Amino acid sequence: MSARDAILAALGPASGDDLDRAAAALLIDPERPPVDPTQLEETFAARLLLPSVAASYAAVAGFADVPAAIAAYCAEHGLPRHLCAPPDPRLDAADWSGIDRHLDPAPDEPLALAVAECGVAETGSLVMRTAPTAPMLPNFLALHHVVVVPRLVAYLEDALPTEPMPRGYYWITGVSGTTDIEGTYVRGAHGPRYLHVIRLISEN
Amino acid sequence: MTAAFAARVDAALADPVLKIAVERTAGTAEAKRTLAVDAFPDFEAARTRAAAIKDHVVANLGAYLERFEANATAAGATVHWASTAQEACDIVLALCRQAKAKSVARSKSMLGEEIGLPHALAEAGIERIETDLAEHIIQLAGERPSHIIWPAMHKTREQVSALFKASHHAPHEEETIAAMAESARRHLRDAMLGADVGISGANFLVADTGAVCTVTNEGNAELSLVPPRMHIVTAGIEKIVPSMPHAVHLLRMLSRSATGAPLSQYTTFYTGPRRPGDRDGPAEMHIVLVDNGRTRMRREGLAEMLRCIRCGACMNHCVVFRQIGGHAYGGTYPGPMGAVLTPAIDGLAASRDLPNACTLNGKCQEVCPVRIPLPTLLRGWREKSWREGLEPASVRSGLALWAWFARRPRLYRAATATALKSARLMGGGWLSRLPLAGGWTRHRDMPAPAPKSFMDQYRQGRRR
Repeated sequence: MSARDAILAALGPASGDDLDRAAAALLIDPERPPVDPTQLEETFAARLLLPSVAASYAAVAGFADVPAAIAAYCAEHGLPRHLCAPPDPRLDAADWSGIDRHLDPAPDEPLALAVAECGVAETGSLVMRTAPTAPMLPNFLALHHVVVVPRLVAYLEDALPTEPMPRGYYWITGVSGTTDIEGTYVRGAHGPRYLHVIRLISEN
Repeated sequence: MTAAFAARVDAALADPVLKIAVERTAGTAEAKRTLAVDAFPDFEAARTRAAAIKDHVVANLGAYLERFEANATAAGATVHWASTAQEACDIVLALCRQAKAKSVARSKSMLGEEIGLPHALAEAGIERIETDLAEHIIQLAGERPSHIIWPAMHKTREQVSALFKASHHAPHEEETIAAMAESARRHLRDAMLGADVGISGANFLVADTGAVCTVTNEGNAELSLVPPRMHIVTAGIEKIVPSMPHAVHLLRMLSRSATGAPLSQYTTFYTGPRRPGDRDGPAEMHIVLVDNGRTRMRREGLAEMLRCIRCGACMNHCVVFRQIGGHAYGGTYPGPMGAVLTPAIDGLAASRDLPNACTLNGKCQEVCPVRIPLPTLLRGWREKSWREGLEPASVRSGLALWAWFARRPRLYRAATATALKSARLMGGGWLSRLPLAGGWTRHRDMPAPAPKSFMDQYRQGRRR
């Protein structure tokens, strides 16, 4: 007997309930930290400041303002205007003169830009998905990670994909951190040490 | 108590730095969890819901596994099944050989430890790069994890510093924890990017999408799993959840119970291999579903243990774990959950001490996010150990003697009255030595008996 057959035989038939109905019944009115739907912007911005998230934040109008926001971030942190950016048409439409963009990340990439699907007010999470226009690796290699957030939702459930899952679907909730040595928190463990959110107010 | 367990506990209690190291991390975790739970209204109801979700999955596990298999396969992943640890390791090694792998990057997985994957890779001559900072530390030290969330909890910063200086190519100069973490970042990055295969566990397997979920704070999972040609997942069959919203509920419980954060920094769902047009991602994704005793646990009265989401709260709050650390338990999983799991995985005969290394104070059950009745399950192992005659002759004959007296109330009271009288003769206050109980009084004093026993007072009260 194959391992598959042995395991399924050992588990026996399902309980006979309608699985989907029983599973759905377990999700009625789930307990979760309250989020005021009229205060999404404020709540999201406040979550980014939590010590475990530790992100900085800037609000601009739309995609056209992203290059200027990047230039300001580079100036503030003394970084050259040189970044790894995804081939996203919404970014390409902006005016990038004076800023040098490349597609493939270096192993010690100083600065990478990404566009999130949305931000989550509940946790301050940035919802990401892979696509030909959205690679995954630069977002983990870079020391400084800048994420554009065009839309906000209240809860994690509101951010879940409705169409088939992308290959990589991920929530970034803060900078890479570790507490593996004596429980002491250190930022920039393997991934980004700095996370900067550019919120596009008029895209929502 | 077996000699091996007694020796491990003695070594742990005698270790001058272990208790400091365990206390620093477990104490912080306990405090952070308390704050997180206080900030979450209805946490108690949320625990009940989490338990119900897991019970529903465990009751219908076969159907959900088939559903997961169908959806993961449709997404382009290959699903493998393993009944035993050996079968699981054989599948992983065969895949590594197929990929002609010289090195694998591993993202911390307790199931990988459970099935002995680090050892199997070493035997096969495949270089293993542990990418979680704590796993990297214990790989350098040649040790095993002592906690399921903080595997290097038993190490002090001074010990970590010495390890890194001995093995990193450009080690830290400043003696700070931040500088040590930076040294590991430099050391591990090239190794991760050059690995041929990435191996992870799974925090959740999502049945209705075929997605595999990992949770990390460091981002090491993604850096280990995205660059290599092949991603191999090894996961226990109980990791299934019906759908993404079910995973969301359990994630809220997991991070708060483990580290006190509303959500861990990186929560990633991997669904199949690289798609057409993708700029990164593995060309192949393989998922190994591992039984290794789980179907037997479900059948033999331990179904509730299959709720476990591996948060570590039970051990952070355990008075025994806080004294002896994780290594003394001798298995892959320490603390209360380990004391229930290890007899199921390694056999009760080899691990019957673990269910006894517990005060039954119930703290683990109070903090468990999926309400596992750990003390009840531990008592179940104690009873089984007795029924199967695994307890040593001294314990059996001692208990038999006690039972003989206990069934003869007059004789029992006469015997205890004599014992109490002689104990009172030894002095008032605290007794630092007791005949036949030298082991107990070596580390603590026994209160001297009260002038009148409960039975004496009870009889007097009735006469009035």
